[in-house]
Amino acid sequence: MSSSTLPGMEVRELGTRQGLRLIELNIGAQHPASGHMRMIVYLDGDVIVDVDPDIGYVHRTMEKLAETREYVRVISTIERMTIIDACNVTLPYVEAVEKLLGIEPPPRAKYLRTILCEINRISSHLYGLGLGGIFLNHSTMYMWAFGDREVFLHLANMLTGARLTHTYAIMGGVRRDLPQGFRDAFEKAKRYMTRRLKEYDKIFFNNPVVRGRLENIGVLPRRDAILLGASGPNLRASGVEYDARMTKYAAYEELDFKPVVGEAGDALERIWVRLREIEYSLELIDRALKQLPEGLFFNEKYVKMAPPAVKHWIEKGRVRLPGTYIRLKTKPGEIITRAEMGHGEITYHLVSDGGIKPYRLRIVTPSARNLILFKELPKGHLLMDFPAIYGSLDYFPPEADR
Amino acid sequence: MENRSEKEIPSRKRPNLVKAHLDAITIGLKTLLTRKPMTMMYPEVSEEWPEGYRGVIIYFYDKCIGCSLCSQICPPRAIKMYKVPGDKRLRPGYDIGRCIFCGLCVEICPVDALAESKVSDKVFDKLEQMVFDPIDWTFFTKDLQKEQETRRNKVRVIIDEEVGLRYESTVTK
Amino acid sequence: MVLDIDLVGTISTYLGLPPELVRAVLAPLIYPGLGVFTVIVLFLIWAERKIAAKVQLRVGPYYVSKRLHGALQMLADGIRVAFQEVIIPLEAEKPAYILAPILSFAALTVAFAVVPGGPGIYGFSSSMSLLIVYAAISVSPILIILMGWSSSNKFSYIGAGRETLVTIAGEVTLLASLLSVAMMYKSLDILEIVEIQRQTDIIGLVANPLAALLFFIAALLLTDRIPFDLVLGEQEIVQGPFTEYTGVLYALTLALDYGKLYVLMLLFTSLFLGGWAPFDSVILGVVAVLAKTILLLLLAVFLRSVYARMRIDQVASVFWGRLFPLALLSFIISALVAPLYG
Repeated sequence: MSSSTLPGMEVRELGTRQGLRLIELNIGAQHPASGHMRMIVYLDGDVIVDVDPDIGYVHRTMEKLAETREYVRVISTIERMTIIDACNVTLPYVEAVEKLLGIEPPPRAKYLRTILCEINRISSHLYGLGLGGIFLNHSTMYMWAFGDREVFLHLANMLTGARLTHTYAIMGGVRRDLPQGFRDAFEKAKRYMTRRLKEYDKIFFNNPVVRGRLENIGVLPRRDAILLGASGPNLRASGVEYDARMTKYAAYEELDFKPVVGEAGDALERIWVRLREIEYSLELIDRALKQLPEGLFFNEKYVKMAPPAVKHWIEKGRVRLPGTYIRLKTKPGEIITRAEMGHGEITYHLVSDGGIKPYRLRIVTPSARNLILFKELPKGHLLMDFPAIYGSLDYFPPEADR
Repeated sequence: MENRSEKEIPSRKRPNLVKAHLDAITIGLKTLLTRKPMTMMYPEVSEEWPEGYRGVIIYFYDKCIGCSLCSQICPPRAIKMYKVPGDKRLRPGYDIGRCIFCGLCVEICPVDALAESKVSDKVFDKLEQMVFDPIDWTFFTKDLQKEQETRRNKVRVIIDEEVGLRYESTVTK
Repeated sequence: MVLDIDLVGTISTYLGLPPELVRAVLAPLIYPGLGVFTVIVLFLIWAERKIAAKVQLRVGPYYVSKRLHGALQMLADGIRVAFQEVIIPLEAEKPAYILAPILSFAALTVAFAVVPGGPGIYGFSSSMSLLIVYAAISVSPILIILMGWSSSNKFSYIGAGRETLVTIAGEVTLLASLLSVAMMYKSLDILEIVEIQRQTDIIGLVANPLAALLFFIAALLLTDRIPFDLVLGEQEIVQGPFTEYTGVLYALTLALDYGKLYVLMLLFTSLFLGGWAPFDSVILGVVAVLAKTILLLLLAVFLRSVYARMRIDQVASVFWGRLFPLALLSFIISALVAPLYG
């Protein structure tokens, strides 16, 4: 590798790369639009020849930490992978442990989980949409999406008592029953959001400047999407009808779930799928609230074991746990569970040796799977298209790094 | 997948160029002239959190039976058991700097000795001040309860159909 | 005319200098030059942030001077920047790195000398003043490219490349619209153009709206306003050619864009909105010019909250493929409406 010195500036010459002299541009880790990662972009003039995503800046050893903690304590740890999508990211883990324990959450708990999952999905999509906006320097979309996300954070706060780190689904059910006034608040939020989505269309989605930035950019054909293992809205935007919610976990079976599928597979289509999924999630919550079955929100077995002095709390809709809950002993075995997060499909592989802690917890997060798209999609596009592609992928570095 | 022409894909439908530009500018102007900020002016007013909000954990020494379940379930090990002079049992102490406000300790407590306050924005000068032994925690609880009641300029957040979030003062005039 | 004659006359007799010289110094330094420009740019950045905040459902600048809705925020920022250490990268070409922002701003002040700010308020009159303004403005891209080169940073370098493209695309359109206007009024003297408009009571915006529109869009491009802020391009190239600048030098690069915008909008007022029409007196004339200019400036900064950044090839194709042919069309319109102005 030789280097030639231009006056005032050094350009590394990479003669071996397709015989072109390239500029190696480090976007990140200190950059206004890189996130917690670094992308080494190889430029020929203004055209991207190759991208090397360099991840791991926010690696927090989630898998190893899970091995050192009791089952219930793992939940609030792994939640921190995707703090904006806390219920979706923990739900498959909880379901895996439940299956190993041989307990089943009551139907009401399943519905409540679904409701929080969809609220999380909306706020996660709004977060992604906002970032997608600011990556195009559309600051209004950024602020609008983040402002409207507050509405759904408030809904989640009403339901769980925390804005982001809910730790809502735990083994055996959920921690809180539906609070009073939630249906009414949601009804208002739904009407507000439906109206706002139309305004989003006007200022962002149908804005000719934004269209020009997104249309036919980063096209991911259907075949490539499958081969590269893309997941979530990025996969569905390419016309693949797959959504982990089709595997019918939680209450999705009874809600008659149908995925939102796009066709074109470009950046615009990915944003479109997210916008439509927000709409559909509102619809799903509405359905879930209507069909919400009566009954306990926590497994009867644990409710019976709860200490008598605090049982009155359970009638008020707050769970109280028995002392044995800390050291839950599972059957030895392995299990794989999956769920659809806002960013895509998350997979847990839980191995238990019959102890009180997971023997091994393997986590494959959607952002980790979508990372490969950074390498494939920008090739041949201009440097200016790179943020557009990044924004449309809704990549979340802490989640990919785990 | 059948080949459909570009125009049939729903995301490709677009209004004509001039209308789209005008739409964008109109909605911008409309928001500029009609909408009020969604911001809650935080340090000046603070949120009256909804029922069941999980804030700083408070502790009642009298109710505690010293079972140590809270310290066992605490995910970040913010609660640890301390030996208190003149007390046979171990009592929980609290490191607020480690606490993630998950509230699991409250749920495992068999006697309601722990509870969630509605305060989550406590400020400390030093790191050492954030660690409470059981006695300190009891006094801290009393301070916190007083603060919770006396804090002024609180607003309740209400979801509104028109403006998304509305802030209503808790002081009734 | 009272104020003008008094001020210039008094100073010239006091110092024993010819009034033309005093005038030529006062105009670029006070009004329409740097003094008023500083106030306007502080107001404009505040207004820009406040408008964007309003559209985005935020509050915007607030805590510095709460009663003025945070209007002094920019002053506070300015003071902070003034006392900030100027860091010069080791690899930078020092003379060029330091001189480029200063020179480009100095070149801009030449434009203040010929753009009129009211009846009888100008640095010096010339039969070529329109071309002088254009020349003063078109010096700065060269120096911006120099900044990008001397910073010795890849982002700056790419930014300088974009500046080249943007300048070529924008200035052709700008010059074409300027020339079509000159053709319409049959004059290159800004003062004369304003007088022609006042005499005939037809402002340029009515006579040739196409040229006005092209002028406005090209001005947005040349001054890096959204949707044409390619040169700054925060999400790709951090701050473009200005990435490495800190402190006062950074403030100068920031003020450069606003300065160009201010000059171009003053020019727009004179060319298309009849300058100080319909007033004759100095004070009212100045108020009219400033009011029109500020209105245009606010319109330019409002677009920030509606649009995203346009892609570089689309900017090029819009300017060369759509606007440049339209500029040629505006020549035809000028030829048709020229009889209006005699």
